[in-house]
Amino acid sequence: MSTALAISGWHRLGPAGGTGAALPDTPLPPGPPPVLVDVDVRARLGRKGTSFYDRVTGFAVVACDAAIRDAGLLVDDGNRARVGIVLGTTVGSFRSTSDYSRETLVQQKPYLVNPMLFPNTVMNCAAGQAAIRLRLRGVNATVAGGRIAVHHALRFAQNAMDRMAMDAMLVGAVEEFSPHRAWNAHLTSPSTGTAEGGAVFVLERGPARTGVHLLGVAAGFGWRERAPAALGGCVARVLAEAGVASRAVSLVVTGGAETGLGSEYAVAADVLSTRPRHLAPAAELGECDAATGALSLAAALEVLAREPDTVALFTAAGPDGGVAAGLVGRPR
Amino acid sequence: MRRVAVTGLGPVSSIGIGVEAFAAALRAGRSGISQVTSFDVSGFPHRNGGEVPGFEPYASVRRIDPAEWGRSSLFAAAAARLAADDGGFDEAGADPARTGAVIGTTSGESVVMEQLTADIVESGFAAMRPRLLRILPAHRLAHAVSAELGLAGESMTVATACSASNYAIGYAYDLIATGRADVMFAGGADSVCRWAHAGFFRLGALTADACTPFDRDRSGILTGEGGAVLMLEDLEHARRRGARAYAEMLGYGLNCDAKHSVAPDAQSIAECMRIAHRNADVKPSDVDYICAHGTGTPANDSVEARAVLEVFGPSAPPLSSIKSMIGHTMGAASGFGAIATSLAIRDGFLPPTINYATPDPEFTQVDPVPNVARPATVRVAQNNGFAFGGNNAITLFGAPE
Repeated sequence: MSTALAISGWHRLGPAGGTGAALPDTPLPPGPPPVLVDVDVRARLGRKGTSFYDRVTGFAVVACDAAIRDAGLLVDDGNRARVGIVLGTTVGSFRSTSDYSRETLVQQKPYLVNPMLFPNTVMNCAAGQAAIRLRLRGVNATVAGGRIAVHHALRFAQNAMDRMAMDAMLVGAVEEFSPHRAWNAHLTSPSTGTAEGGAVFVLERGPARTGVHLLGVAAGFGWRERAPAALGGCVARVLAEAGVASRAVSLVVTGGAETGLGSEYAVAADVLSTRPRHLAPAAELGECDAATGALSLAAALEVLAREPDTVALFTAAGPDGGVAAGLVGRPR
Repeated sequence: MRRVAVTGLGPVSSIGIGVEAFAAALRAGRSGISQVTSFDVSGFPHRNGGEVPGFEPYASVRRIDPAEWGRSSLFAAAAARLAADDGGFDEAGADPARTGAVIGTTSGESVVMEQLTADIVESGFAAMRPRLLRILPAHRLAHAVSAELGLAGESMTVATACSASNYAIGYAYDLIATGRADVMFAGGADSVCRWAHAGFFRLGALTADACTPFDRDRSGILTGEGGAVLMLEDLEHARRRGARAYAEMLGYGLNCDAKHSVAPDAQSIAECMRIAHRNADVKPSDVDYICAHGTGTPANDSVEARAVLEVFGPSAPPLSSIKSMIGHTMGAASGFGAIATSLAIRDGFLPPTINYATPDPEFTQVDPVPNVARPATVRVAQNNGFAFGGNNAITLFGAPE
């Protein structure tokens, strides 16, 4: 299980600077402007099969498609049963689900909903559509983890490679901007803006074209005051399992804004007994929910491309007790 | 590779809460279907569902405060607490970092989602209640279990729709088999909600009164709810503490149709059965019983029966659907199937498919265990789970030595 998996390709849907074109015609909450992705899903994928995609499904399919191309992974009838997908989420599409529920309240009859949109209310919609689009018949999963979703997705994918004999797994998460998410962030944490986007990574065995490997990932749980200790435990475990000395870690990428239980960086630095460089790409953008870990890993991979000797720890903690840590670098 | 025992069962269902009540109801072929009361069904032509009206969160959990959790999380936590008590889980003696929770779901906190939507409809986005927003995320289903039982290991919610419990059970099984965990609480939870009732009705997949799987005249599902959690444990760990096992988990299989978001695919489902058999190292002829996905829709049951006959041939083992009794409990469904399967092995009976009247001429070789439970020695049993998104997941259980 401790065999490091190669990250053979990836694709990030990053912020485009907020063109405003995708802004909904709904009053948005006060506070920081939304951070939006500028991707024309139908221009990228065509109209066939995409007409009922919601925003997050379109983004996820585009990211999976681009990641698999970046990896140069060829899928044909010989291997499509051994290539799978694991995507992280928070609630699926808050907008699609709430809008569907809304129809049951505002229509003349509560059942006058659109049956074609029903699958969009189910959290596995994006992963299922990506499998259909890319014709990937291997393990297909969706994990709901909020800010730690991508760590969970990486663990699920690692296990699928090992125990379900998959050759390659597409792993990541995207979130969509919607007034629902924007108001959610505003009402629960008023100074936080809302971002969309995310990233998908391709895990394979063997040496990576990029030379970069997922060295390990650990997840745990600590309710309330136990959360920092639980996160520290994940950091210690991922180092031990990867056989990496704490002084070798040169970069710590933390997840979302602080949850009131202390700083992820302080916990990591405490376990490492060093104070490596610190990045927090998701927290800078605003609430990224399940995309948090994807943006963290993408940031670590960018540093690794420039500075090949980097060993990066990427941590995540949710407000409800979930904690996780991953380690990425070049095996030595 | 370590072996994995099922040492505790926690059903919170419309036909019984707790293992003995649930087992008795399965044997009696009791129906848990009634008119839905959790939302106003007066505008719907079809009004029945499988609610759990007797669920009392405050009496069902010990550590967490029900006011801080949504209905589905509470189903999960209550089911896990029952499984822990049933399995004699010793919180003080367990290594918390090697004990975790994996919970499957289709719609997570769907009731909370509907309350927030009602806020929006009434007074706009600014009126969404922050307390509800905080308890909305689906990962809280697994976290509720971890918080309730004091677990520090992995706490994962798998959201692969109606096969999610089998995904969760499979992943938990692997964590134990590979030595990464000693004890895992795995299963699923979901709540009856208006939007799913409406969606299935408009898909033409919601039946009027009773769910009649494998019957010629079957006409759809009834939405159900509940929590179904199994305590899975390293067999040696269980032996050392003198725990009895209901069953041994033998393995599982996953695959994806990658064809259509709602229509099942017989070829792909047959392949998933073969994957599961290989993983569990069993032959089709070893399998004594199949706990069917058996939703009661014309398409599912026909596709499932075809796949079973393809893999098992004309002498396929009995194939019954407990959805005839509890409805389609969505993300909890294959968790209830796993519990029923474990009980079939321990108690030596096949749960019936109730409401069965007319054989379907399309698959006369299938034995759905019509209406009455049947005594049987079950050494190996298969538990099917299929889902929107083509997410197929099958688990296999065997008699403990």
